[in-house]
Amino acid sequence: MNSGIDLQASFIESLKTFGVPGGAAKALWIPFPMFLMIIGATVGVLVTVWLERKIAAAVQQRVGPEYAGPLGVLQPVTDGIKLVFKEDITPAKSDTLLFTLGPILVVVPVFLSYLIVPFGQNLIITDLGMGIFVWIALSSITPIGLLMAGYASNNKYSLIGGLRAAAQSISYEIPLALSVLAVVMMSNSLSTIDIVEQQAGYGILGWNVWRQPVGFLIFWLAALAECERLPFDLPEAEEELVAGYQTEYSGMKFALFYLSSYVNLVLSALLFAVLYLGGWEFPIPLSQMADWFGVSPNNPWLQVLTASLGITMTLLKAYFLVFIAILLRWTVPRVRIDQLLDLGWKFLLPVSLVNLLLTAGLKLAFPFAFGG
Amino acid sequence: MEFASNFSDQLNVGLILPEGIVVATLLAVLIGDLILGRRAARGLPYIAIAGLLLSIVSLYFYWDAENPTALLGSFSGDDLSIIFRGVIALSTAVTILMSIRYVEQTGGALSEFIAIMLTATLGGMFLAGANELVMIFVALETLSISSYLMTGYMKRDSRSNEAALKYLLIGAASSAVFLYGSSLLYGLSGGKTILPEIAQGLAQVEGGELASAIALVFMIAGIAFKISAVPFHQWTPDVYEGSPTPVVAFLSVGSKAAGFALAIRLLVVAFPLEQPQWRLIFTALAILSMILGNAVALAQTSMKRLLAYSSIGQAGFVMIGMVAATQAGYASMIFYLLVYLFMNLGAFTGLILFSLRTGTDQITEYAGLYQKDPLLTLGLSICLLSLGGIPPLAGFFGKIYLFWAGWQAGLYGLVILGLVASVVSIYYYIRVVKMMVVKEPQEMSDTVRNYPAVRWNLPGMRPLQVGLVFSLVVTSLAGILSNPLFTLANTSIENTEALKSASTFLEETTAQNKEVSLADPMAPAIVEK
Amino acid sequence: MDLAQGVQFVSFIILAAMMFSAALGVVLLRNIVYSAFLLGAVFISISGLYLLLNAEFVAASQILVYVGAVNVLILFAIMLVNKKEAFPALGRNWLRGGATALVCVGLFALLGTMAISTPWSIADRAGVAAEGSVIKIGKHFFSDFLLPFELASVLLLITMVGAIILARRDLIPEEPPESGLTETEAYKLQERPRELISVGKSESEDQS
Repeated sequence: MNSGIDLQASFIESLKTFGVPGGAAKALWIPFPMFLMIIGATVGVLVTVWLERKIAAAVQQRVGPEYAGPLGVLQPVTDGIKLVFKEDITPAKSDTLLFTLGPILVVVPVFLSYLIVPFGQNLIITDLGMGIFVWIALSSITPIGLLMAGYASNNKYSLIGGLRAAAQSISYEIPLALSVLAVVMMSNSLSTIDIVEQQAGYGILGWNVWRQPVGFLIFWLAALAECERLPFDLPEAEEELVAGYQTEYSGMKFALFYLSSYVNLVLSALLFAVLYLGGWEFPIPLSQMADWFGVSPNNPWLQVLTASLGITMTLLKAYFLVFIAILLRWTVPRVRIDQLLDLGWKFLLPVSLVNLLLTAGLKLAFPFAFGG
Repeated sequence: MEFASNFSDQLNVGLILPEGIVVATLLAVLIGDLILGRRAARGLPYIAIAGLLLSIVSLYFYWDAENPTALLGSFSGDDLSIIFRGVIALSTAVTILMSIRYVEQTGGALSEFIAIMLTATLGGMFLAGANELVMIFVALETLSISSYLMTGYMKRDSRSNEAALKYLLIGAASSAVFLYGSSLLYGLSGGKTILPEIAQGLAQVEGGELASAIALVFMIAGIAFKISAVPFHQWTPDVYEGSPTPVVAFLSVGSKAAGFALAIRLLVVAFPLEQPQWRLIFTALAILSMILGNAVALAQTSMKRLLAYSSIGQAGFVMIGMVAATQAGYASMIFYLLVYLFMNLGAFTGLILFSLRTGTDQITEYAGLYQKDPLLTLGLSICLLSLGGIPPLAGFFGKIYLFWAGWQAGLYGLVILGLVASVVSIYYYIRVVKMMVVKEPQEMSDTVRNYPAVRWNLPGMRPLQVGLVFSLVVTSLAGILSNPLFTLANTSIENTEALKSASTFLEETTAQNKEVSLADPMAPAIVEK
Repeated sequence: MDLAQGVQFVSFIILAAMMFSAALGVVLLRNIVYSAFLLGAVFISISGLYLLLNAEFVAASQILVYVGAVNVLILFAIMLVNKKEAFPALGRNWLRGGATALVCVGLFALLGTMAISTPWSIADRAGVAAEGSVIKIGKHFFSDFLLPFELASVLLLITMVGAIILARRDLIPEEPPESGLTETEAYKLQERPRELISVGKSESEDQS
C-alpha cells in the first residue's frame, strides 16, 4: 500500500542532512503539529461561527452579517477580538481558583482530541494504537470542568446548568461509545487510520454508513447531545437557566467555553466523517482513477494531489455535518430534561446495544462484508 | 484439531456445571419476573430453590473428579471445594425458604431479592473453588457487592440504609487491603496468579520475607473481614441488626463458609512456608473472637444481635480447626460448618417466624411462647441448644471434633479456652430457651399473650414451616447419626490433592532449611503429623 | 540517558509530584469540593503513570472510568447534598490528627521499606509495546482469565439490577389485599414504615 506523503519523515530526514541527531530532529518536529492543530481548530471554529450566522439568517430569511469583510466573513474575527478585549469579571463571591480552572478544563481535552483526527495516511498528529478510545476517554473529562464552572460561579442557574451538563454528557457517552464500538469491531482496530483504511477500496459504497445505518444515527444524536447543541442544549437553555454554567462568565473565559463548544462540534463532525464517511477517501477510489489514466502510484504529483484531496474531502464531509447540525439547531425545538434523559437511557442505550450485538452477529455471518 | 482437544481438556468446563445451573436459575428468575409479572412471580422462589438443589445434585457427580482443575487453572473443583459449594448452595436454598414471606411482608420486590441472593451464592461458590488471584478477587467482589445490595434492600428503613452504607464502606476498604496483598504476591512470585505457582515462586525468592509477611497479613485481614473475626468484626453487629433477617442468616452461614473456604485454600496452597505465621495470626483471631463474641452476646437483649455476636463466637470455634492445620483440623471445620448451617439457619427461621407474627425480636418478649406455639418453641430451642453444644445434638459433636483436632495438634490452651467459651455460650442460649419454656402462663409477655392464631396456610408461611421442620430434624438427628457427615468431611479432605501436595511441599522445603519453621514454638505440631 | 529516557524520567517526576500533592490535598483540605476535584487530579496523574508504563489502554480506561464516571458521580453527590453543617469543635483535635499521622507515616515507612528491600522477581520484562496492549488484554480475557471475565458479567448485571432497585421509587399497585393478609397490627414488621405512593397517570412527575 502506498503510504502517501509523510511530512514528519521528510522533515526529520532533511534535518539529519544538516547533521542534527535523530532524537533532536524529532523533538524539533514536535511543536509544528501542535501549533498547526491549535490554529487549524481555531480557524475551523471561525468558519463554523460564520456558517452558523449565515445559515441561521438564511433559515429566518434574513441577510445575516454583511459588513465585516466580503459576505461578513470577518464577523467571527471581530467577535473574537471583542471577547479578548472585554473586561474579565470574576464575581465577588465566587471561588476564584475554580472559576478560572473550569473553562481551561473544558477546553484542553477538546483540543487534545484533535491528536487523533486523520486527514490522510500520514497526515495525523499521532497515530495512537487506540485513537478513537482516547477521544472517548478525553471527552469524559469535560463534565468535570463544567461542574467546576457551575459550582465556582456560586449561582443557582450555573450550578443547575453544570449538573445538567454533566448528567447529559454521562448519559450520552454510553450510546456514543457503543456505536463507536460497533465500528471498531468491524475494522478490528481502535486506530482512526485503520478505521478509514477498512472503508477504502470500494469508494462511496465501502463507507460505514451503509453498514451501520442505525449506528451512525445513534452516533450523531449522541454527539449532538455531547456538544450541547440544540435540540439538546439544556445546560444553557436561555429560557430556563439564563445561560447555564456560563452565566457568570465574560471576556476570555466565556470565549473559552464558546470556543470549546464549537471546536467540539467540528471535532464530532470530523470523527463522524472518519467513522462513517470514509475519512479522507474520495467517493471514487483515487488509485483506480490513477490506473485509468495510466499514472504511476509513485508519481510525486499524484501524491500531492491525493494529500490535498484527502484534506479537502475530510473537511467537506465534516462541514456537511456541521451544516446539518446548524440546520437542526434552527429548525427543531428543544427537548425537556426528562425527555432528554429518557431518550438517552431508555431508547438510545438499548438500541445501541442491539446494534452492537447485530454487528457482531453479522460479522460472524458475513466476514467479507463486515470485516472478518 | 490436536490443539483444540487439548485446549478443551484444559478448559474442562464441565466442572463448573453447578455454577452454570445457578446462573441459569438466576436468569430464569430475572427474566421470568420481567415477562410474567407480579402474579406469576409467586412461583419464582421455588424455581430458585429447585435450581439450587439441582446444582447440589450436580455437585455430587463431580465428587472425586479425575482432573479437578478447570479453565486453565483458575478454578479447582476438588472435593474440598465441592463440599463448601454444597454448603453455600444449601444455605441459600434454606434462606430463600425463610425470605419469601419476609420480603413480601416488608414490601420489597421478591424476585429481585432472590436474584441478588443467587448472585451472592454464585460468588460464594466460585470463591470456594477459586484457585487464582484474579478469580478470587472477582468472586469475592461478586459475593460482597450482592451482600451490600441485600443489606440495603429494605430501603425505607433507615437502619437498613445505615447497615448497607457501613457494610459497603468497611467492605470496600477490606477489599482494597486484600487486593494490595494480592498485588504483592503477584510481584513476589514473578507475575504468577495461580496459587500453587505462587507458592513455588515465593519459595524461590531470597530475602522477600518482609513483603510476603505483609502480603499474608493483608490477605488475612481481607478474609477475617468476611468471616467477621474479632478485630475485623466492627461491622457485624450494626449490619446484622439493620439488614433484613434472611440476609443476616445468609451472611452468617453462606458468606462465612465461603470465607473459610477461601482461607483454607489460599493459606494452605499459596503460603505453605508461612504456616507458622498464619497459624499464629489465626490463633489470635480465634482467641479474640471466642472471648469477645461470647462475652458480648451475654449482654444482648435483642435476639438478632444475640445471634450476631454468637456467630462471631462460633467463627472463633471454627478457627481452631484452621489453627490446627492438620487434615483432622480441616475436616472438623467442614463438619462443624455443615452442622452449623442447619442449626443456625433453624434459629434464624424461628426468629423470623416470631418477628413476622409479633413484630418484635426482644428476648424478653419470648416469655411463655411454649403455650402458644409449641412447634416454634421446639425448633428454636433445639437449634439454640445445639448451637450451645448440648450433648445429643449435632452441635455437640461438631465442637467435640473441633476440640479433638485442636488437642491432637497440641493446641491445649486454645482448646481449653474454647471449652470455657462454649460454657459461657450455653448460658445465653439457655436463657432464651428458659424464657420460652419455663415461664408460667401468668408470666407470659404481652406480645405472646396477643399472639395471633398459628396459621400455616397463609401465603409464604408453608416454606417457613418446611424450613423450620427440616432444620429441626437435621439438627436433632445429625448428632446421633453423624457418621455419614463425618465421613463426608474426612474423605473430602483426604481426596483433595491441593492440601496434600502443599504439606509435602512444606516438608520438602523444611527439610532443606530447618530454621524456617522450627523457629516457631508451634511448629512441632506439623512435624508430629 | 538519551532524549526519550530523559523525557520519561522528567515526566515521571512531574506526575509523581502531582499525584502526591493532589493526594495529600484530598486528605488534608477542609473543603470537600476541593478534595473531590483533587481526586480527579490524582486519577489523571495515575493514568499518566500508566502511560509511562506502556499500558495505554489501561491509562485511557483509567480516565474514562475514574475521571469520567466515578469522580463525576462523587461530585454530583457532593453538589446535590452540599449542606453546610457547623460541627462542634472537638477537644484535643491535634491528638487525633497526630495519631492518624503517626499511623499513616508508620504504614508508609513499613511499605516503603518493603518495596525497597524486596528483590522483586521481574521475570517477564518483554513489554507490551511489541503488540498493542488491547490485543494482549483481549487474549488474556479469552484464555487464562476467561472465568473471572465471565463472572464479572454476572456481577455487572446484578449490580445494575441492584442499583435500579435501590434508586427507583416503589410503586405499590392499588390492588385489594388478599383475604387473611389484612394489615393487622400483629403482622406488621419494624421495617414497615413507608408512605404509599399510588400509581397515577402523571408519569412525568415520577421520572424527573
